[in-house]
Amino acid sequence: MIRIWSSNARPSVSRCRNLHSTVSANAEVVPKSKKPVPKWTPSSLRTGVIARKRGMTAMWDDQGARHPVTVLQLENCQVTANIMTHRKGTTPYHAVQVAASDKSVKNTTLTMLGHFKKAGVQPKRIVKEFPVTPDAHIPIGTTLSAVHFVPGQYVDVIAKSIGKGFQGGMKRWGFKGLRASHGVSVSHRSSGSTGQHQDPGRVWPGKKMAGRMGGDRITAQNLRVVRVDGSLDLVFVKGCVPGVDDAHVLIKDAKKLLVHTARHNHAKALFEKVLPKGVDDLPFPAGTKELAEKLPPVIIAPSIRVSNPFVPRE
Amino acid sequence: MLSGLCRGLARSMSTATAPYPFSKVAIIPPAPAAPPAALRQGKGLMPYLQRTLPSPEKQKLLDTLFSRRHPDRLLPGSVLTVILNHAPTTFSGVLLSIRRRGPDTSFVLRNVINRTGVEMQFFVSSPHVKEIKVVQGAGGSGGKQGRRMRRAKLFYLRDSPEKMSAISAGIKN
Repeated sequence: MIRIWSSNARPSVSRCRNLHSTVSANAEVVPKSKKPVPKWTPSSLRTGVIARKRGMTAMWDDQGARHPVTVLQLENCQVTANIMTHRKGTTPYHAVQVAASDKSVKNTTLTMLGHFKKAGVQPKRIVKEFPVTPDAHIPIGTTLSAVHFVPGQYVDVIAKSIGKGFQGGMKRWGFKGLRASHGVSVSHRSSGSTGQHQDPGRVWPGKKMAGRMGGDRITAQNLRVVRVDGSLDLVFVKGCVPGVDDAHVLIKDAKKLLVHTARHNHAKALFEKVLPKGVDDLPFPAGTKELAEKLPPVIIAPSIRVSNPFVPRE
Repeated sequence: MLSGLCRGLARSMSTATAPYPFSKVAIIPPAPAAPPAALRQGKGLMPYLQRTLPSPEKQKLLDTLFSRRHPDRLLPGSVLTVILNHAPTTFSGVLLSIRRRGPDTSFVLRNVINRTGVEMQFFVSSPHVKEIKVVQGAGGSGGKQGRRMRRAKLFYLRDSPEKMSAISAGIKN
C-alpha cells in the first residue's frame, strides 16, 4: 500500500553518511589554543607613531601626475606603556605611550631612566601618548614600523611650526597696514587703532597685536600616504608638514577622513565607503617590525583618479 | 578528484598568500638593494633618495645633462627639443633656467610661436618626458657652438625679443 500522506509530512533524509562531500573535505581542523586575531573595526582607534620630518621631494604616480611629498622616518619608535585610567563617573581613558629616537644614558634623568627600564627599551628623546580604544593596546616594547600606515589612507601630522620670532600685525595676523604715501608718517606697517573711544575705554582682551609668531603645535589634516618603505621605515605623505627638517612629528590616522567617515559610513551601512578607496584593511593593533619583515619592502599607492588627466576626453 | 582540484584552486586564491593584504590595488615595485644601516638613523637619507627615487634612465639624465659640473651638462642659452608622450608631442626652445632639486629637477624652455612667446616647464623625472635633444649648445664663443651666457637664469630674454631672434638665427645658419 502506497502511503502518499506520509511522504509529504516527513522530509527525505539521506540514509548514507557524508563521507566525500566538499563541505567536510574543505573543513580545517581548528586548534583549541588558537586566539582570535584582532581586527580593525570602524569603531576602533589605533595608536599613532612618532617620526622625524626628513625633507620634501616629488613623486609621479602611475598616471603621470606629479605630487609633492614629505618624507617622514620612524626612528626606533617603541611602545613604552599602556595607559588605562578609570575614574568614577567618566568613561575609562585608554592610551598607548610611544617613545622614539634613542638617546645616550648619560643624558637621561634618573626618573626617565627608571621609566624606560620598566618598559625594557633604550632611553628615548621624545615620549608621547595617543588615545586609543581598549582593543588597540599593544605589548610594551613592541617596535612600530612604517607599515602601520597603508598607502592610500589619510593621516594627520602634528608638529611644532617654524618659529618666526617677534612679528608685526601684517605678518602675524594679515593686517593690511596703512597707505604707502598720501601723508602717512612713519606707520606704514602699523596695526592702526586698537579700539573704540570712551566706551569701552579699554582694549578688548585677545586683541590681535604684534608678538611672537610660530613655534606652535599645528596639525596638518587629511594628508594622503603615498608610499611606505618598510626597510627604512619611511612614510611619504602628499603635501607639506609643519616644522623644520629632522623635527619630531606625530602621525595619526586622519580624524576626519578616516576615523569619523569610517564610523559614519558603517552606521549608514555604506560598507564600501568605510575605508578610503584602495585601502582594504589596516594593521591592527599596530604595524610592527615583525610585520614589516613579512611584507614587501616598498609599497606605493595608486592614483585615486578615475580617468587619466593627460588623455583628452572625447 | 574534482572536489580536490577545486579545493586547491580556492586555496591558491586565498588572501593569506597575497603579497600585501591591506590593499589589493597597491603597486609593489621590484625590491631595491638593501640600504646601508646608517640610513635608518637618517644620516644621508635625502641624498640616498635623490639617487634612488628616479628610474635608472632618468637618473642618467640627471647625472649628465642636469649635473652642475659634468662636461656634457646643459647650459642656459642652449636650444633644446623635448619629445613628450602627450600633446604637444615636441617642443623646442631656448633653455632659460634649470631648477636643480634632485628628483624634482625641472627646466624652462622659451620659444616664439605665431608671434606669441610661449614658455614650458618640464620636469626631468616626469614619465611624460621621453627624450631631450640638444639642437644648439651654449658653451662656446659664438656661431655654431652658441654664445656662453653670463647668467644662470635668462629671464631677461622675456623683455628682449631681439636677443631671442639672435639665438634662433644662429640655428638657421
